[in-house]
Amino acid sequence: MGGSAKDRAGRPSAAAAEEYVAEVEAVGREIQDPVAKLRFLRSSLRDYPRLAPVDGVPSGRARRILYRWASLESLRGLSAREPQAAGGPGARRKVLVSRAAAALTLLLAAGRLVMGLAALVVVFAVGSAAYRHARPNADPVMASVPGSASVGPVALPPRAGLAPASVWLVEMGAGFELYSNGLRIDNTYEVGGEPRRFRVFDRTSGLRGEMQSRPVGILFHTSESDVWPLEAAYNETLRDSTQRLLRYVRRNHLYNYVVDRFGRVYRVVEEETKANHAGHSVWTRGDEVYLSLNSAFLGVSFETRWEGGHALPITQAQFLAGRNLSDYLRARWAIAADMCVAHGLTSVNPKKHLIGHHVDWARGFPFEAFGLPDQYSRPAPAVVVFGFGYDEDFLKVMGEPWPGVREAERALSEEAARAGRSLEDLRRERQQLYDRWLGEQSQAEEATASGRAEPAPAGPAGG
Amino acid sequence: MEERKDHLWKVAQEVEERIDEMEKAGAAPAGIDVGTSKVVAARRRAKGIESASQLNAFIPVPYSRFTETILGQNEISYFREGSELVIFGSATEKFANMFNADVRRPMADGMVNPKEKMALPVLEAIIQTLLPKAKSQGEILAFSVPAAPTGKETELTYHEATLRHHFESMGYKATAINEGLAVIFSELEDNNFTGIGLSCGGGMCNGTLAFLSIPSIMFSIAKGGDYIDQAVGSVVGESATRVKVIKEEGLDLSRAPRDKFEKALHIYYDDLVESLVEALRRAISRAEKMPRSDRPLPIVIAGGSAKPRGFKELFERALKGRSMPIEIAGVRLAGDPLTATARGALIAAMYEK
Repeated sequence: MGGSAKDRAGRPSAAAAEEYVAEVEAVGREIQDPVAKLRFLRSSLRDYPRLAPVDGVPSGRARRILYRWASLESLRGLSAREPQAAGGPGARRKVLVSRAAAALTLLLAAGRLVMGLAALVVVFAVGSAAYRHARPNADPVMASVPGSASVGPVALPPRAGLAPASVWLVEMGAGFELYSNGLRIDNTYEVGGEPRRFRVFDRTSGLRGEMQSRPVGILFHTSESDVWPLEAAYNETLRDSTQRLLRYVRRNHLYNYVVDRFGRVYRVVEEETKANHAGHSVWTRGDEVYLSLNSAFLGVSFETRWEGGHALPITQAQFLAGRNLSDYLRARWAIAADMCVAHGLTSVNPKKHLIGHHVDWARGFPFEAFGLPDQYSRPAPAVVVFGFGYDEDFLKVMGEPWPGVREAERALSEEAARAGRSLEDLRRERQQLYDRWLGEQSQAEEATASGRAEPAPAGPAGG
Repeated sequence: MEERKDHLWKVAQEVEERIDEMEKAGAAPAGIDVGTSKVVAARRRAKGIESASQLNAFIPVPYSRFTETILGQNEISYFREGSELVIFGSATEKFANMFNADVRRPMADGMVNPKEKMALPVLEAIIQTLLPKAKSQGEILAFSVPAAPTGKETELTYHEATLRHHFESMGYKATAINEGLAVIFSELEDNNFTGIGLSCGGGMCNGTLAFLSIPSIMFSIAKGGDYIDQAVGSVVGESATRVKVIKEEGLDLSRAPRDKFEKALHIYYDDLVESLVEALRRAISRAEKMPRSDRPLPIVIAGGSAKPRGFKELFERALKGRSMPIEIAGVRLAGDPLTATARGALIAAMYEK
C-alpha cells in the first residue's frame, strides 16, 4: 500500500478508489440522518475524480488521512447547507464540547419530557372527567317497559296542553338554541351554504318573478341511511351512526336540518342558505310554479329509511321534535301550510318526464298530525302542470300512485277533452314547457353566477 | 351483515384519520409507492415518518340513493360513474367478499392496466385520498416505478409518464425512483445504502443491487401476490379475492400445510421465491459493471407478499440451493414491509429537495 496507485493515464487506480471508498464509508457510517448520508455519499462519489492528486502521495497512511480529510470537508460543506447533517463527524475537533453540550441538551430534554408527561396526565384526567360528565355512561337508563323496546306503529299524540302564542328563542348557549315550543336545536354541526336565489314562474304568463332569497317552503326527507334497532343493546352504534350521518350531511351540505332517532334536532346547513336536498323537483302554489326546490325550500330530514311508508318509520321522539321544528320554521319564515310537503311528492326525473324519482315520504307522512293539509290528495303539480307520468319501477315501489296523482291525471284528461286534443299531445306540450322553463332557469342561474343578463322568459303554460 | 358494515366503517375510519394527520403535516416532500395491490404514501412529520395506504382496487355496484348514502355515511371512498357507484380503496375487498366477486385493479403487473377502462380515474381517485394537492407549486414528490420486465420497456415509459403527469397536475415536482432502490434507501441506511433491496408486491417482484446508493443492477419478474392468488384460486376453486383474504389472515410458510388450500399456497410461494432467486442470480451473473467489493452484501426484502411467516426462511433456502456470483451477508425482512418502498421514496424526495 506504500506506493502510488495511479494508472498510466493518470487516473486513480482501483486500489486508490478502494481506499477512498473505505474512508467515505467510514465517515458515512457516522451520519445519522438518512438524507444527509445520501447527500454525502453521492457528493463524495461525484467528487472523487477531483482527488486524483492524492493518488500520487506515496504513503498509504498519508493517502487515507487525506481522503478522510477530504470526506470530512465534503461533509462540512453539506452541513453548512443542511442543518440535520451538522451533528456528523465534521466537527470532530470539537468533540468534547459537542459531547458536553449534547449531554446537557439531553438532560434538559428529559426534564421537559417528564414535565410534559405529567401535564399530559393531568390534562387527560381532567378531560376524562369532563367527558364523562358531558356524556354519561353508554349504558342507558331503561325508561320503557321491558319487552316493548322495538318501535311499532305509533299513536300520534294530539296537540294537548297549553301552546305558546308564538315560537321564540328562549335561550341560546354553546352549541344549542332553545325555543318556546320546546324545540331544542343543536348547532354544533352548522355550516354555511350558498345563498338562496330563486325566481318563481307564473303559470299563466310564463314570466319569472323577482329574485327571492327567503325560504318559502319545507321539504320533508328521510335520510335513507343505516338504521339500527332502537334498543339499549345498540346504544353506542345508534349514537355513532348518527354522528357519521351528520358528518356526511355536513360534508355534502345535504339538508338544513336532521332529526335523529332520539329526537335531537341538528341544524346543519344554515337556514338562510340552500342545501342540496331537493334535486329536480316541482311544486306549485296557486299559479306560482317552483322548479328545483333547493333554494326555495328548507330541507328537513328524519334519520330513517322510508321502506314504502306503510308504517310510520320514525320514532315518537322524532315525530314530536319534527313537529316542533316544522312549527318553528313556519313561524320564523312565514311559510304557508300548503308549502310544506314531502320530497317524494315533488321529485321528478327531468329526462324521462317521470314523477317519483325519489320516493321518500311518497306515502305515510303524518301531515295532519303536523297541522298541515293532506298533500297526498292534492293534484300532483308535476302531472297536471307538466304532464309527467310514471313507469313500472315507480309502481313496483309504490303499488299504486298516491291519490293526488290520479286526481291530476283526471284533470289533465278533462282539459285535453275540453280542448279537443289527445291526452298524449297535451302531455307532450306540457313536458316541452317544463324543458324550456328548466333550461331557462339553468341559464339564468349561470348568467347570475357569471354576472351576465338573464335570458327572456319562454311563455305561459297554457290551459 | 351488520357486523360487516361496522367493520367497513372502522377500516375507512382508520385510513381517514391517518390521512387527516398527513394532510396536517402540510407542505413537505412526499414519497408514494404506487403498487399493483396497494398505494402507500409517506410524509415526514415532527414525530417521525407517517404513512397511510389504500388498496389499489375497486368494485362497481349499481347506483341507488340508499347505497350512496350508506357509503357516504360510512365514509367509504366512492365516486359515481353513470349508473354505477365505483367503490375504491380499502373497503373494496370487504365489498367483494360480501358480493362474492373479484375486485378490479387499475394496475396489472406493476403498471397501469391498459385493458381496464376505469384504470386512470380510479388510480387518480385513490392517489387523491392519500395525497392532498401541493400547497405550493413545485413541492417535491418521489413515486416508485418498477424495473421494466423484458419486452415491456415502452409500457413502463407510459406508466411513468402517466403518473408523473398526474402528480404534476396536483402541483408537485415529481421524480421517479426504482422500487428496489427505494427499499435500499429505507432499509439499508446502516449499510451506507449498499446491498440488495427486493420488493415483493402484488403484481411483480423488483430487485436492485446498489453500491453506496448508486444502483448497479435492476431487475423484475412478473410474478407477485396476484399470481399466487389467481393460481391458488384456480386450483382450489375460490375467487382470487377470497384467497388473498385467507392468505393475509395468517399464512405460515414455516409450518407444514394443513389442507389443500395451504398446500397450494406453499407450492406457489415456492415457485415465486425460486423464480425471484433465479432472476437475482441471473441478473448479477450478467452484469457488466459490478462495483468492486470484497464485502458480502445484505439482502433486505419488503412488500406485502413477503409478509407471511416463514417467507424469509423460504428465501434463504432457495438462496442456499444456488451458487451466487457474490457473497451474501444475510437476509432480513424490512421493518415494515408494506411501507418500506414509500419510506424510501420519501428519502429520495427529501434528497431532491
